[in-house]
Amino acid sequence: MAVCSAYTTQSLHSTCSISTPAKTHLGFHQKQVVFYRRSSKRGGSGSSSGPCVITCSAGDSQTVVIGLAADSGCGKSTFMRRLTSVFGGAAEPPKGGNPDSNTLISDMTTVICLDDYHSLDRTGRKEKGVTALDPRANDFDLMYEQVKAIKSGVAVDKPIYNHVTGLLDPPELIKPPKILVIEGLHPMFDERVRDLLDFSIYLDISNEVKFAWKIQRDMAERGHSLESIRASIEARKPDFDAYIDPQKKYADAVIEVLPTQLIPDDNEGKVLRVRLIMKEGVKHFSPVYLFDEGSTISWIPCGRKLTCSYPGIKFHYGPDTYFGNEVSILEMDGQFDRLDELIYVESHLSNISTRFYGEVTQQMLKHADFPGSNNGTGLFQTIVGLKIRDLYEQITSSKTAAPLEATKA
Amino acid sequence: MTINAMGEGAKYKGTQMTEKQLSEMIEKKVTEAKQVCEGDETSDECKVAWDEVEEVSQDKADLRLRLEVEKKDPLESFCLENPETEECRVYDD
Repeated sequence: MAVCSAYTTQSLHSTCSISTPAKTHLGFHQKQVVFYRRSSKRGGSGSSSGPCVITCSAGDSQTVVIGLAADSGCGKSTFMRRLTSVFGGAAEPPKGGNPDSNTLISDMTTVICLDDYHSLDRTGRKEKGVTALDPRANDFDLMYEQVKAIKSGVAVDKPIYNHVTGLLDPPELIKPPKILVIEGLHPMFDERVRDLLDFSIYLDISNEVKFAWKIQRDMAERGHSLESIRASIEARKPDFDAYIDPQKKYADAVIEVLPTQLIPDDNEGKVLRVRLIMKEGVKHFSPVYLFDEGSTISWIPCGRKLTCSYPGIKFHYGPDTYFGNEVSILEMDGQFDRLDELIYVESHLSNISTRFYGEVTQQMLKHADFPGSNNGTGLFQTIVGLKIRDLYEQITSSKTAAPLEATKA
Repeated sequence: MTINAMGEGAKYKGTQMTEKQLSEMIEKKVTEAKQVCEGDETSDECKVAWDEVEEVSQDKADLRLRLEVEKKDPLESFCLENPETEECRVYDD
């Protein structure tokens, strides 16, 4: 069944003139019909006369687009794995394609790595003196065009950035999935791309935790030392603060990872304090809460009914503002050591969008070997995954097959 | 020399080579970065050099995570189709 959606750059009542269809060298596979309307030349609105393009796409053009901002590689992060797992099925690289592809595909979801939109490869960046964090190293026009196309049900030929060689490889075909996740450094940088997102998440790792994690990640490598790890973080910080960090105010959900407050002077970064900052008033998204929505709660689940080992678990929930937006914040400090702690906590959370009691626990257990499985990072990533599933179901059930809307003569 | 126990670590020669390559790149790029930054720590060249270190370090870590946690060699599906290629040789030592 073909669904036709009308694209205009302004309202349908304004003048449309003939213009050439959208650029075709960007790798589209689509059928486009350009309609134009003779203007009645009476009080036309403004001077701009954009094209009226009616794009017909075969099949379901209900791709829900999720943006995830993270500085931890892409398409392969634990967050992505947890998210795709909530929808069922394992996410795999495209079969038979470039083995160095960054893309992950499962039944319902396709995860695209935004590094694939680098306009400069490693050599090019070196020549221009520009890091991967810098917007000048990325082609936002292409990112926008392709995400828009996929969202409207049109397959695209997306470039591949090969992380091993540092080169841009020949493109791979991306067919519109039910859920498209764009993951990387700049999902919310460009306003046009931002407007395409149905939901966005920013993973905000504090400097101390980042340092601790990178030590865990790199110390086994021959080339690295504490000094080189520190130097690398420091050198990237100016660009990170200038280009990546500002995106967090646009996110519908921020997962903030901080050092624990339960252990004085802890700098190992093993016990974590994680805050799930959820924007209020986002369509199809009802924030998770503890006990009483909109109130402020401090909760230590460990006590008579539940025994926890050191350093225990502490929750906090309450309303707040974040960069001028109304938010609700759910916070967990500490670690889960046993299954019953996890299920106990789950049973006290509300609005977690589970299909059955214990689903969060089940998902966490499924990936018990993933990093963060015993603390707030795994818990909140799993919950965000369930909220996204809920959002997807709401969006797809609210859309009805729209008849072709012709411009009025 | 990486130990190739059953189901752990790289299964195919191609992936073993990539692992080794990435490790060597990390070492090389750290040395380069230190040299470049000696003159001016705030220069663009210095920034870019450490960014390259980060990129390759993350890549190595991603590969390790994939092999150790997911226990899947990235060349798996390629090697099913092309088992005779050099990079698809399997080691049992």
